Amino acid sequence: MDRRDFLKLLGITSSATLISSCGVDKANEKIIPYVVPPEEEIYPGKALYFSTTCTECPAQCGLQVTVKEKVYHDNRSLFPTKLEGLAGHPINDGALCARGQAGLFRLYHPQRIKRPLLKDENGNFRIATWNEAVERIQKELQTATSAGLTNVFFASRTTGSLADLIDEFCQKMKVKRTKEFEIFSHSNIREANRIVFNQPLIPAYYIDRSDFLLTLGADIFETFISPVQFATQFARVRENSHFTWFHIEPHLSLTGVQASQRLVLKAESEWVLLAYVIGKLSHSQAAKRNLPSGILQILPRFEEEHTSQLTGIATDHLQQMVDSLSRAVKPLLIAGGVSTAHSHGLEVAVLASLLQWMVGNDNNQIDFAGAENYQQVGSLLDVEELVNQLAQKSLGVFFISRANPVAQLPVNFEFSQRLHNAQFTVGLSDVMNETIRECQLVLPLSHPLESWGDAVPHYGLRNAIQPAIEPQFDSRSEGDILLQIMNSGESTQRYKDYLFERWHKNFGEEGRKDFLTHGYRHEPLPKIQWSLNTAQTISFLKEMKRDETEAMNLLWLVPSIRTYDGRGRDLSLLQEIPDPITTVTYGDWISISSQMASALKVSDRDEIQIATHGFSLQLPVKVQKLLPDKTLLIQRGAVATLPVEIDRRSGELYWVITNTSISRTGKRIALPILAGSMEEEGRGLLPEDAEHGHGHNAEHKPWYPEHEHVNYRWGMAIDLEKCIGCNACVAACYVENNIPLVGAEEHLRGREMSWLRVQPYFDKEGQIEFVPMLCQHCDNAPCETVCPVYAAYHNPEGLNVQVYNRCVGTRYCANNCPYKVRRFNWFDHHLPEPLDKMYNPDLSIRGRGIMEKCTFCIQRIRSAKDIAKDEGRLVQDGEVIPACAQTCPTKAITFGNLEDKKSKVYQLAHSERAYHALEELGTKPAVNYLRKRGNDHEA
Amino acid sequence: MKPESMKQIEFNTTLEQDILVAMRKPRPVYWLALALSALCFAVGMVTWIYMMLKGMGIAGINNPVGWGVFITDFVFWVGIAHSGTLISAVLFLFRAKFRNVFNRSAEAMTVFAVMTAGLFPLIHLGRGWIFYWLFPYPNQRQLWVNFQSPLIWDVFAVSTYFTISAIFWYIGMVPDLAIVRRRTEGIRKRIYSIFSLGWTGSLRQWQHYNKLYMFLAAFATPLVISVHSVVSWDFAMSVIPGWHTTIFAPYFVAGAIFSGTAMVLTLVIPMRKIFRLEKYITLDHFDKISKVLLFTSLIVTYSYIVEFALAFYGGHKFEEAHFTYRLLGDYRYFYWLMLFCNSLLPLSLFVKKLRRKISYLFILSLFVNVGMWLERFVIIVTSLSKDFDPYNWGLYFPRWPEIAITLGSFGMFFMFFLIFTKVLPILAITEIKEEAAE
Repeated sequence: MDRRDFLKLLGITSSATLISSCGVDKANEKIIPYVVPPEEEIYPGKALYFSTTCTECPAQCGLQVTVKEKVYHDNRSLFPTKLEGLAGHPINDGALCARGQAGLFRLYHPQRIKRPLLKDENGNFRIATWNEAVERIQKELQTATSAGLTNVFFASRTTGSLADLIDEFCQKMKVKRTKEFEIFSHSNIREANRIVFNQPLIPAYYIDRSDFLLTLGADIFETFISPVQFATQFARVRENSHFTWFHIEPHLSLTGVQASQRLVLKAESEWVLLAYVIGKLSHSQAAKRNLPSGILQILPRFEEEHTSQLTGIATDHLQQMVDSLSRAVKPLLIAGGVSTAHSHGLEVAVLASLLQWMVGNDNNQIDFAGAENYQQVGSLLDVEELVNQLAQKSLGVFFISRANPVAQLPVNFEFSQRLHNAQFTVGLSDVMNETIRECQLVLPLSHPLESWGDAVPHYGLRNAIQPAIEPQFDSRSEGDILLQIMNSGESTQRYKDYLFERWHKNFGEEGRKDFLTHGYRHEPLPKIQWSLNTAQTISFLKEMKRDETEAMNLLWLVPSIRTYDGRGRDLSLLQEIPDPITTVTYGDWISISSQMASALKVSDRDEIQIATHGFSLQLPVKVQKLLPDKTLLIQRGAVATLPVEIDRRSGELYWVITNTSISRTGKRIALPILAGSMEEEGRGLLPEDAEHGHGHNAEHKPWYPEHEHVNYRWGMAIDLEKCIGCNACVAACYVENNIPLVGAEEHLRGREMSWLRVQPYFDKEGQIEFVPMLCQHCDNAPCETVCPVYAAYHNPEGLNVQVYNRCVGTRYCANNCPYKVRRFNWFDHHLPEPLDKMYNPDLSIRGRGIMEKCTFCIQRIRSAKDIAKDEGRLVQDGEVIPACAQTCPTKAITFGNLEDKKSKVYQLAHSERAYHALEELGTKPAVNYLRKRGNDHEA
Repeated sequence: MKPESMKQIEFNTTLEQDILVAMRKPRPVYWLALALSALCFAVGMVTWIYMMLKGMGIAGINNPVGWGVFITDFVFWVGIAHSGTLISAVLFLFRAKFRNVFNRSAEAMTVFAVMTAGLFPLIHLGRGWIFYWLFPYPNQRQLWVNFQSPLIWDVFAVSTYFTISAIFWYIGMVPDLAIVRRRTEGIRKRIYSIFSLGWTGSLRQWQHYNKLYMFLAAFATPLVISVHSVVSWDFAMSVIPGWHTTIFAPYFVAGAIFSGTAMVLTLVIPMRKIFRLEKYITLDHFDKISKVLLFTSLIVTYSYIVEFALAFYGGHKFEEAHFTYRLLGDYRYFYWLMLFCNSLLPLSLFVKKLRRKISYLFILSLFVNVGMWLERFVIIVTSLSKDFDPYNWGLYFPRWPEIAITLGSFGMFFMFFLIFTKVLPILAITEIKEEAAE
C-alpha cells in the first residue's frame, strides 16, 4: 500500500465513521422477519377490523375495532389500537363519542383485575383459582338457601342473551334477580309514559323526523339516552331549512348552547310552562288531537303574564315558542335530564307526554315500538328496598355485576356499610372500583373486547359483541362464569357456544355469519298505536304537585359528557381532554354564575364551601357566563355520594339540592382551565359577519415563491353549524396519533399535547360558539420559514409536515404559529403498561425535545395512496378520512383533495360560507371553516 | 535627552508597572471570587446536562411561551457583547481617545459575552445533543439548513462576530503582550513570546500593525450593526404582535450598545479601584462614557415610544391589544421597572455632577443591566403569552433551571473575566502611551 492509498483509505473510513455516528436516533423497535407465514389472512402492516358494541354507556353504539399487528415486549401480536363507530349502524352510523373513544383505556386499564381474589379473615385479598372461587360460590349458595336467606343478583343494565342467561342462572341456582341499577334510570319518563299511555318505556326519539324540536332539560348531545344517535340525527335535520329547535333549561349545558333558541327558566317550573302551552294550544289549529275535557278541566291553567312570572321566560319568547310550535307540522318534545329530575320532574314528564299526544306523532317522531331497552332497569326505590333487606340481614349470596353503587349512590343509602350484612358478596368487574373492594370474592370479568356476547340497546336491534383480542389476564366473560357456576360437574358449556346456538336458532346459519360480519341485526318492529289512558292521567293530575317553589342557591349534580355518571372518571384519556364548556381537564370544580362570583368576590380557582343538610364540600370555582344566577353546577361523578332525595312515586333521583349555603374559604386551588380566555373579541377566529365572503380580505403578496401542488393538496372543511363541541374528535385524535397523556401538573403549566382542540368562544351576541382548532396546514406557513433545519417543511401535497427525526427543538415554529397548534415534547412521555398496548404502530412515539402537531393523519393518507398506487389511480374523494372526521357525530369535518374540483371539500371550501381563521395574516390555510347560516337558512 | 522624553519614559515605565501589578500573584480574595464564579458556572452546566437528560420540561417554558429566560439571556449577553466592538472599533475610527482606557476590558467583555451568549441557543434546544445540525456541513443524507430561518442567520451572525471580535482583541493586544514578555520570566515568558508573535516594535511592524488594526476596525464596525440586527430579526421576522415590527433592528442595536456600555462601567469601576488605575481612567473618561450611556438611553426610550405609537397609530387590533397588555397586563411590573431603569434613571446623567460620581455610575450601571435584561424578557414573554388565539393564552414564570443556568452564565462570564485580569494586560498599554505622548 503506498502513501496515497493509505490516505484515501484513512479518509474514507474516518468520514464513514463520522457520518454513521451522526444523527439517526436508535430505532426503538426490533424488526423481526416472518419465519412462519401469517395465518388467517393477516398481513404485516394491514389492519383488521371487527364489528362489536361499545359498552361505555347504556346507548350501546355499534363499534368497529381496528386491530393492528405490532411488537409488544418482543412479541409480535395483534392488538386493538383504535375504536371507531360502526358505519351504517342504526344508532351511531360510524360516529363515536369521546367516551367511546376512551374504551381502549378500559381494555388496557392498569387496574384491571387480573385473577380471582378472595378476602381472607384480615380483610386482605389473596389470589384464588377459578375452581376454588366457583366451589366457594356454590357452597355459599347452598348454606344461604338452607339458612332461608335470599340470594340476589344485582347488576347494571344488561341486555341481549346475557340477560336471558342471568334469568336461567337465577332460576336454576335459586337466586333472586333484582331490578337493574342505573343511577340515571329515567324513571320519571317511564313512569309518565305508563300513566299517560300505559307504556312504561323510554320511546325512541327521532329528531330527523321532526321539523320542530322542543327539548326540556334533555342533554341530548351529552348523556341523555343515546347522545351520538341524537347528534347524527341533528346533523341530518340541520340541512333542512325549516327546522327550529327550542331548548329550555334551568342551567347551562352543551346541548342548550347548540339550540336555535336557548331559554333559561326558573328551576322546577317546567310544569308551569307545559301547562301554559297545553292550555294555549288546546282547541286551536295546532292541536292535532284534543285532550279529553276531563283532563283539561283538572289541568292548571296559566295566563301568559303569570307563566312568564313563574318561569322567568319573557313573554315574547313564550309567544315565539308557541308560534313555532303551532306552525310545526311534525313537532317533537323531549323532556328529560335536569327537567325531569327534581321534585316536579314527574309532572314535567307527564305534561310533556300529554303535549306530544296533542300535537301528534304523524311522522312517528316518537316510537314506542323501538323503545330503549330499559326493561330490567329499576329505580332507586328498588335499590332502597334491597338496602332494607340488607339491613334486615335477610340476604345470602349477593352478586354485584358491572355496577359501582358504593361510589354512585347517595350516602344516605349506606350501601357500603350494609353490604357487609349479606352472608357472602361476590363482585364481578373488569376494573377495580369502590364497590368491588368491599366484596369478599372478586371475579375478574373479561372486557367486552375480549369476549363474546350480544346486546339489545333498543327493541328491534341486536348488536354483536365479539372479541378483538384474547383475554389478557385470567379473566372470564360473565356468561362463562355463570355457566360454570350453573353446570359444575357436568360438561360445562362455553358461553360462546351458548350464544352461537341461540343466534343459529334465531337467524339461521347464514344469518348468524351475517350478524357477526355486520355487527348488528336490525328488524324494525310494527308501529305501536298509542292511546291516551284518560283515567290514569286524571288520577295523576288530581294528585300532582302544584306548589310554586322559589328555591335559592340550587346545586345541580349533572352528568358529564366526559365521565357520564362517573364511570369514566378512571379513564385517563377522559381526564386529559377538557370539559367542552369550561375547558377544565383534571380535577373537580363547581360552576357558578358571574353574578354569584361577584357577590362572593371569587374568581376562577378560588375555593368555596357549599353546605347542605349537614353535609359540606369544598371545590374550586369556575365562573361561567350564561349560567343563571343562584345556580351551581357540579358534575355528578365529583360528589356522587351527596345525600339527595328521590321521588317517592317513581324512584327517580333528584339532580338538585335546594337552599344550599355558600361561603368562600379563601383558598386557591390549582385547577387546569385550558382556555386562556373565552372572549374572541373579533380576532378573526369566528366569522366576522355574514356578508364577508371568502377571500375578501387584503391580497397578500407572498415573499417566497408559491408552492405548486401536483395531484393533491389535502384540505379540510369544518362546518361550525354542525359542530356541537362534544370533543369526540379530540379523543379520537389522541388515540389515533399516540398523543401523550401528560397529567394534571403539565396541564397546569399549559403543556397539554392535544393536536386538535375545540375552542369555546363567546361571540358578539354573547353566545358560545365552538371552533375546532388544529394545524391549518397553511400554504404560507409561518412555522416553515423559521425552522432552521427544515424539520417543518411543506410537502408537495400541501401538507405542512413535521420531520420528527430532523427536529432539534428550537420551538421557533410553535412561537410563530398564529394558531398555536404545535406541541412540544417537554419530557419523554410514555403510557404506563399495559396502556401502551394501544399505541398505533403506524406512528412513532415522539421523544423529548421534539415538536409535533396535527398531520391530517398522514398515516391514513399514506395507506390510501398505497392502495391507489397498486391500482394505478389517484386517491378518490372520501378514501382518506382522518380520525377526527371519522368519529364526528355530526359529520362536521370534511377532508379531501383541494386539487380535485369535484371533491366535497373543494366545493365546501369554495362555498359562500367558507372563511379562514385569522385570514388577514395571509397564511392561506388548508382548513376552511363554514360559518353558520342563521336559523332560517336556505337549504 | 529632552526632559519631555524623560517624562514620557518615566510615565511609560510606571504605566507598565501599574498595569502589570494586576498580573501579579493573586490575593486570596481573587481566588475566592474565581472559585465562586467557577462554582456558579458548574451549577449552570450541571443543570444543562440534567435538563438534556430529563427534558426541557423541568424549566418553566410552556405553551404558548416557548422561549423564556434562555432566549432573554441570549439577547442580553449578545447585547453586552456589543459595546466592546463599539468602543474599540467605532470609537477608534472616530478617533475618540477616551476609548483607550476602556477598550481592552471592553473587548475582553465582548469575547466572553459572545461565548456566554453562544451557549444559550444550544441550551434552549430541545435536543441539544444534535446542535451541530444547525450548521451547514456536508453530509451523506444531503440535509441542509434552511437559510430562510433567522436562526440560521443567527448562527452566522454570532459566529462571525465572535471570530472578528476575538481576532480584533488579539491583534490589538500583540504589542502589549510583547511588553509583558519583556517583564516576565520563565515559562510565562515563553508563553507570552509565542503569543506576541515575535513582536519587536520595529517601524515596519508598526506600519503593518496599524494598517491591519485599521482594517479590522473598519471590518468590525458593520458587525456592530449587523449582529444585533440579526438577533432582533429572530423576533421581527415572526408574525407575533409585539415582535413583528420594522424598528426592531435599530432599536435592538441601540439597546445593545446601551446595555454593553453599562456593563463596561460595571466591570471597569471595580477594576479601576482594585488595581488602582485612577491615574489612567480618569473622571473625564467616565464623563464621556456616561454621555454615550445617556445618548443610547434616549434612543432606547424613543424606541419604546415609537413602538407604542406604531401600534396605536396603525390601528391594528392585535398590536393594540398586545401593547395595552404589555403596559397594563400580567407583566406590567416588569415593564414599569424596565422603564424606570432604562428611561427614567439614566436621565439623571444630564447632571454633570452625577456623571462624575463613580459610585453613582456604578449603581446606575447595575440598574441599566437589570433594566435591559427585563426589556428582553418583557418583549419575549409578553408577546408570546398573549398572541392571536385567546384560547391558548398562558403565563410563564421561570423555574429553578432557568435561574441556575442564568447564574451559570454570569459565573462563566466573570470566571473568564477574572482569568483575563490575571493573564492579560487589562489596559491597552501602547495606546495609552501614545495618547500620553501626544
